[in-house]
This record gives sequence, C-alpha cells and structure tokens, in this order.
Amino acid sequence: MSAPTDRDLILRTRRGDAKSDAFGELVTRYQASVFNVCYRILHERAEAEDLAQESFMRAYERLHTFDLEREFGPWIRRVAANLCLNYLESRKVTAQFDEERDVDKGQRPEAVTEVRERSEQIRWALASLPPQYRVVVELRHYQEMSYDEIAAELNIPLSDVKSHLFRARKILSEKIHAPD
Amino acid sequence: MHLTEEELNEYLDNEIQDRQRVELHVSACDECAARLSKLQGLFSEIESLPELALTRNLAVPVTRDLNQRVPLTHSLGLVVTLQATLALLAIILAAPFVIEFVSPYLTNLTTSSFTDVLIQIQSQWMDWLGMLSNFRLPPSPQIPAIDLSSLVITLTLVAVSVLWLVGNGLLLRNQIK
Repeated sequence: MSAPTDRDLILRTRRGDAKSDAFGELVTRYQASVFNVCYRILHERAEAEDLAQESFMRAYERLHTFDLEREFGPWIRRVAANLCLNYLESRKVTAQFDEERDVDKGQRPEAVTEVRERSEQIRWALASLPPQYRVVVELRHYQEMSYDEIAAELNIPLSDVKSHLFRARKILSEKIHAPD
Repeated sequence: MHLTEEELNEYLDNEIQDRQRVELHVSACDECAARLSKLQGLFSEIESLPELALTRNLAVPVTRDLNQRVPLTHSLGLVVTLQATLALLAIILAAPFVIEFVSPYLTNLTTSSFTDVLIQIQSQWMDWLGMLSNFRLPPSPQIPAIDLSSLVITLTLVAVSVLWLVGNGLLLRNQIK
C-alpha cells in the first residue's frame, strides 16, 4: 500500500480522524526542513528545535486555512520563518548581543574543521544580520520566494523587501569575504 | 555608465524586466561582469549551507500535546456557547433596570434624541415585562417554612456561578497547555 499523500494526511487531520497520528506523520516528513529554517534564522540549536516544534503547533491550529491546492512544505516553512521573526523581535533587547553570544560559545569559524569552517562562517554571518534581514534572506534564498511573495508574507512594502535583501547581501559579502 | 547594485541583484533574482539590457552591458563591461560574478558567488555560498540533522523527533512532543488538547475541543465549544448565551440573557434582563437607573441622568441632557429612543425602548420593555408578570402558571403545592422564590434565585445564582467558574477553569487549563 502506498504512503498517504500530504493532502490525505491534512484531510484526515481536519476530519479529526486519527487526528494526531495523521498530523504526526506530517511532522515526521517536514521536521528536518522546518528545523533548518529555524536554525538558519536563530543559529541556536535548542531554540531552533523549540521553535520548529511550535511551528507545527501553530500550523495545526491554522490547518483549516490551508489551501489544499498548494504544497504543505513551503507553507509550514513560511509559518516557521514568521514565527522565528516574531521570536527575534520579541527579544529585540538581547538580539544585539547575538554576535557576542556566538563568539562566547566558541562557534567562530577558526575553531572547526576546514570543510565545516565555511558553512559555520556563513551561518555566523547570517546570525549577525538584523532579524528582518535574516528572514528575507531565508525566504528568498532557501524558500525561493519572489519579492512580491515575501512582501505579502511579511506584510511589508516591496521597497523594504529589496532594501533588506540588498543590504543583507552586502553585509554577508563583507563578513564572509573579510580577511581572517 | 555602470549597472547599479539593485539591477545586479534583481537580475540574479529574476526580478528584472529587461534582462537583455543587463546581459548586453555585462558582455561589454568587465567591471560589471566582475561585480555580477562576485554576487553570483555569494548566492552560491549562501545556498550551499548543508542541512543539519535534528537531535530529537519532534513528532513525539507535538503528537503528545495534540492528544492532550483533543478531548477538550467539544466540551469547550459547548461551555463557551453556554456562557455566551447566559451572558446575553443577563444583559437582556438587566437592560431595563440599568436604563431605569441611568434615565434620570440622561433626561437632564439637552440633546436627548438618543435618550428619548432609549426611554421609549425602556417603556416598551417594561410593558412587555408587565405582560409577562401577569402570566400565571397553575399553582404548585407550597412547601411550608421555605421561601420558594428566594430558594430558586439562590440556586440559579449558584448554578450560574459554578458553570462560569468551571468554564473559565477549562479555558485557562487549555491556555496553560
């Protein structure tokens, strides 16, 4: 017997037919990608796992608004990105210390092997961006959303999407290509 | 004149209308070609990040939380509806008394068009209540030494309060989870 499609699982969840099992299967399918969205934005594993879990709870509550003609994966990843942005903005006061926090944790690129060094350097650079910039980069580069889609998703003007994205790339370029 | 940063970004994001103009310029301008290549390299680096593995299975806590929430859904819906109905009933019953209490202050106002309407509604409502008060059920046997009307009022108040507390308790319990 073939595995149920995402659509089947969503319909079963909505009907309340073996509710949590159907939704649990959806969680199993998408937890890795949702976690990676959170980790790229937060750059902190425990927080990313907690926010990924919370993303699924939010998605469950809003499942009745989900358009069955669309794919579940991009939708749940957008929910996660938005949740991470709200989370970062809610702790704005401490966000400015993120960079120092990462330094303290010894996650600087110098400390890891050469293969991982580059990835860590990029992650570190991403984590140093302001929250809005991080989310715009996530939605553009990893979720492949258009400028218009990002503007609609974050409820910000198109001009802000462009300026956030271009400035973010400038900062990333400076941090990634900076001499050691 | 060189291409702007915005044009280069929009070109690589497939968001620019006139792609041909950019391509034509880049083919003839080494500086812009180098800038475009550098930006493209940055795109590749950003998108080359490997996916990390989770250290725990999120399906377990999510499923557990959902299982705890499920049994409350129907009962909560009933409680909320019942509470809303009771509140509406209380408002309807209290309205004429509130209006009666407030009307002396309202009639002192010079611009009293809204007040007039309220007083009219009040008088009609009182008439209707008067009609209801004339309605009599067949007499029921009296229990000696017990004031039945005050007992009924007390029991009703207690029942409503208990229902209210239980309902809010359930709502809070759901929120805490």
